Amino acid sequence: MEMIGEFEYLILSSAARLGAQAYGASIRIEIEKATGRRCSIGALYTTLDRLEGKGLVDTWMGEPTRERGGRSKRLVQVTATGVKEASNFFRTISRISKGASWTTNRPTTR
Amino acid sequence: MDNEPTNYPMSSRKSWPIVLWLSGFLGQAEKEVVLGDLTEYGESGSRAIASVLGLVVRRKSAVFLDLRLWLAVALVVLPVSYLLSAIAESTAGEGAVYSWMYLNNWDWVLTRNPGFWHVLREMAMNFSITCLVLACWSWSAGFVIGRFPNAILQVSRNTFIVLLAASFLVDAPTRFIHFWMFLHGLPLRPSLPDIHAPITANAFYHVFFPWIVLTILVVLPAFSGVRQGNRSSLFERKMRVVLVTAAIISVLIMLIQVPSFGLLLGAPVRQWMWRNRNAMQVPPLLCCWPMFYFIAIGVGRYGRCKAAITQCTR
Repeated sequence: MEMIGEFEYLILSSAARLGAQAYGASIRIEIEKATGRRCSIGALYTTLDRLEGKGLVDTWMGEPTRERGGRSKRLVQVTATGVKEASNFFRTISRISKGASWTTNRPTTR
Repeated sequence: MDNEPTNYPMSSRKSWPIVLWLSGFLGQAEKEVVLGDLTEYGESGSRAIASVLGLVVRRKSAVFLDLRLWLAVALVVLPVSYLLSAIAESTAGEGAVYSWMYLNNWDWVLTRNPGFWHVLREMAMNFSITCLVLACWSWSAGFVIGRFPNAILQVSRNTFIVLLAASFLVDAPTRFIHFWMFLHGLPLRPSLPDIHAPITANAFYHVFFPWIVLTILVVLPAFSGVRQGNRSSLFERKMRVVLVTAAIISVLIMLIQVPSFGLLLGAPVRQWMWRNRNAMQVPPLLCCWPMFYFIAIGVGRYGRCKAAITQCTR
């Protein structure tokens, strides 16, 4: 399997942090808080579909709730393969970042 | 972020009807999830519209990246829409002539002539069979399209209708014959005086009648076929194989009915078909199998209803 993308990693990490409370709106809020950028619903749900297609997450419809106007959530759970792929991504990013000026607080060479 | 979520209820905002309308283009489950997310998140009006619109565009455009769609269009939808438009056009022409002869030129004196009734009976029977065969072909073609995967079904069906109308509008069969003759260096036939000029001069027969024929004998049966084809996934595997095979054979038999397509078969095959022209009239009749399918379904439903009523009365 090829390495996951940056946005896929953001979703996997958010879903893993949120645990049982991981669903569309909560993942979106987590990503926006962490990145300081807007996360579009279109990008979120198409990426979630892709992750589900790759077997990295499982999704299912939850119970309708009052604060959602009686509508259901799409709950998300990271699978074991998802955890493995997210770990690989994190390790790769950590390895490639070693020695880079922004990790060592050294001034840039030029 | 320039447009923070707000605490006003989503459903009381002016943008909500637009959001609801846009979300109608999504699947039922996804619509519910997205509307729930927007309500919970308290997304501002314009952002909510942009969010839903973005998702709709992504969903709708994703199907065009599916290779299966392009294969289905190239191998099935395009040839079938061309064939059906060609047959519908000749059927409409035939129908226009008969209709003009009998309705526009009705003469009560003729009714006293036994020959008139003989010809009328024969014409009515032949034309009814032609219409029935065309409707059954359209249904079979729709059935084949209805067996496409759900992801590409809706776009394939809409493409079929667009191509059918386009082929009909630009008279694709006649253009195909001209193109084929040009490719083979054959001289184009001189334009002869239109023997049906009195009929084609009538705006109804020239403009409206062909589209009425196309709608009633092609579009409506094809839509029914698509629906039945899609529902047939509930049938047993053997039954599905039989139905799909019958539909594919029906569509292939259509080829021999289209004059312009016969050009591709080569002279020996055309000569053989001409020598056996009486036998060649039989295969199209076999294409009327959808009638038996509907009868079987009707009998099945009747049997189930009867059994249920008997059980209730006990």
